[in-house]
Amino acid sequence: MISTTQTFDTKALRKTVLDMAYAGSTVHIGCAFSIIELLAVLYRNHLRYPGNDPLAAGRDYLVLSKGHGVMAQYACMRELGWLKDEAFSHYFSDGSDLKGLSDSRIPGLEVTSGSLGHGFSVGVGLAMGAKLRGTDQKTYALVGDGEINEGPIWEGSLFAAHHELKNFMVIVDENGFQAMGRTEDVLKLGSIQAKFESFGFEAITIDGHDETAIDNAITQLWASASIAPKALIAKTVKGKGVPFMEHNNIWHYTRLDPQTYAQALCAVAGGMQ
Amino acid sequence: MRAAFSDTLVRLAKADPNVLLLTGDHGYALFDDFRRECPAQYINAGIAEQNMVGMAAGLARAGFRPFVYGLSAFIPVRVVEQIKLDVAHDKLPVVLIGDGAGFVYSHLGTSHQSTEDIACTRAIPNLAIFSPADRFEVTACMEMAYQAKAPIYLRMGKSDRGDVHSAAPQAQSGSLLEAKRGKGSNIAFIATGSLVRTAMDIATEFYPDAAVWSVPFIKPIDSKQVAAICEQSRVVVVLEEHSVLGGLGSVIAEIASEFAPVRILRVGVRDRFSHHCGTYEYLLQEHGLDRLAIEQRIRDFLTAN
Repeated sequence: MISTTQTFDTKALRKTVLDMAYAGSTVHIGCAFSIIELLAVLYRNHLRYPGNDPLAAGRDYLVLSKGHGVMAQYACMRELGWLKDEAFSHYFSDGSDLKGLSDSRIPGLEVTSGSLGHGFSVGVGLAMGAKLRGTDQKTYALVGDGEINEGPIWEGSLFAAHHELKNFMVIVDENGFQAMGRTEDVLKLGSIQAKFESFGFEAITIDGHDETAIDNAITQLWASASIAPKALIAKTVKGKGVPFMEHNNIWHYTRLDPQTYAQALCAVAGGMQ
Repeated sequence: MRAAFSDTLVRLAKADPNVLLLTGDHGYALFDDFRRECPAQYINAGIAEQNMVGMAAGLARAGFRPFVYGLSAFIPVRVVEQIKLDVAHDKLPVVLIGDGAGFVYSHLGTSHQSTEDIACTRAIPNLAIFSPADRFEVTACMEMAYQAKAPIYLRMGKSDRGDVHSAAPQAQSGSLLEAKRGKGSNIAFIATGSLVRTAMDIATEFYPDAAVWSVPFIKPIDSKQVAAICEQSRVVVVLEEHSVLGGLGSVIAEIASEFAPVRILRVGVRDRFSHHCGTYEYLLQEHGLDRLAIEQRIRDFLTAN
């Protein structure tokens, strides 16, 4: 059955992620959980797909540069009816299409990412293209805070500001962790908002799990009269929604077993852990 | 050769407003005409090649036809992963121009010399590799690159070695072009880029019956044609201003070993960096790629058994 509800209820989205992660015995659950609210708000209120067509010519572009969070996007694409339930129940089975990282051959995924620092530049190119064409299409590039260690992020930021790509918004999932530990311990980032501002972006920092705050910030940034590209810094929690996963970086790598799966389902349903 | 490159690019851009030229802050005088004729289609992306190639992928996705220009040491070598993941994976119509390949920047040392670019790109699926030898081949390669609507790496080396064709050749993608006609010799020359001229000079003087084949299309290449050349020869000499590892010599050896085993002399850079600097001709001598050294290597190879 294809869901057509399109409520992007965050509990339901997290359940979908857990179901597919358990079915496929996959990792990167924490990476997906930190961006659930961001994606829910984007798909519900902001992204425009004429005719609900993920390949529509005039669509807005959502570039998941942090490809590790792709399960969260799959969950949203299921609500849109772009992915069938079998794709979830058979996740990671031999010959299946949906991979553990974003693959642009899946309609709805704009880039092939996972190697970090790529999607941001592709997104800048998409935004530049829309500007050259004079369309009102908007491009969102969702990056991880660890990902912004990568040089092309800052190369592309210089370009976006220089060319006044006000139709481009980077969203930073600032969950404070990267693969090997806390971003603070690996490479200090300092104020991400100040960094993007110094590169010429208009930036806002919000609680990345507060849907109202996310929605208001995106609306406010697009409503700005500034010609600057936009940066939304979302303070998030890696593993958000399941207490034993929150702030615990082993859920970058750990697979669910029957017990943790049951506990996690209970947690996202709002029950006791 | 560079004039042919500029003229063709300007012509393509004037005919199709979707053609964009992206440069990584290189091509100072080369793009004067383009900037004058098509200023809105010119983007200097700054000294930021990784972002430039990623952006080119985004622009191609938005329906544009980006030509991305840099020095061959940077485009493609610095951005191999962007080419693989952002461009080639989805067969996006991005043409990557790597200028100054080989030892063109003979005085500048290792950073600007490029003798590993073919090897670095050959294994990337969906990516074609063009390597023109003269102005006629440049024009043909550029036009084919535009028509192909696919990822292409176009390698431009030393550009002032003179024509190897007397007129525009009938070029089909993948085909080797006969730069010098053969008359049943048991030795054949296969060369690409700057060394096609050298091969012709050597063949004309010492092996007048030998054919010289120019290879403007390194990948894909017409393997049947290569096999036929190898079948008709006792010795094949392959010449390139590139490493002997993974370049044209490897391409020919791979095809020959499968379809038409023959003795092959691979003339190229022997897995080393330049030690010194000097004129272009000096650098060729340092690497044994000057005409006299190549002549001697061929004689040695022919008398080896």
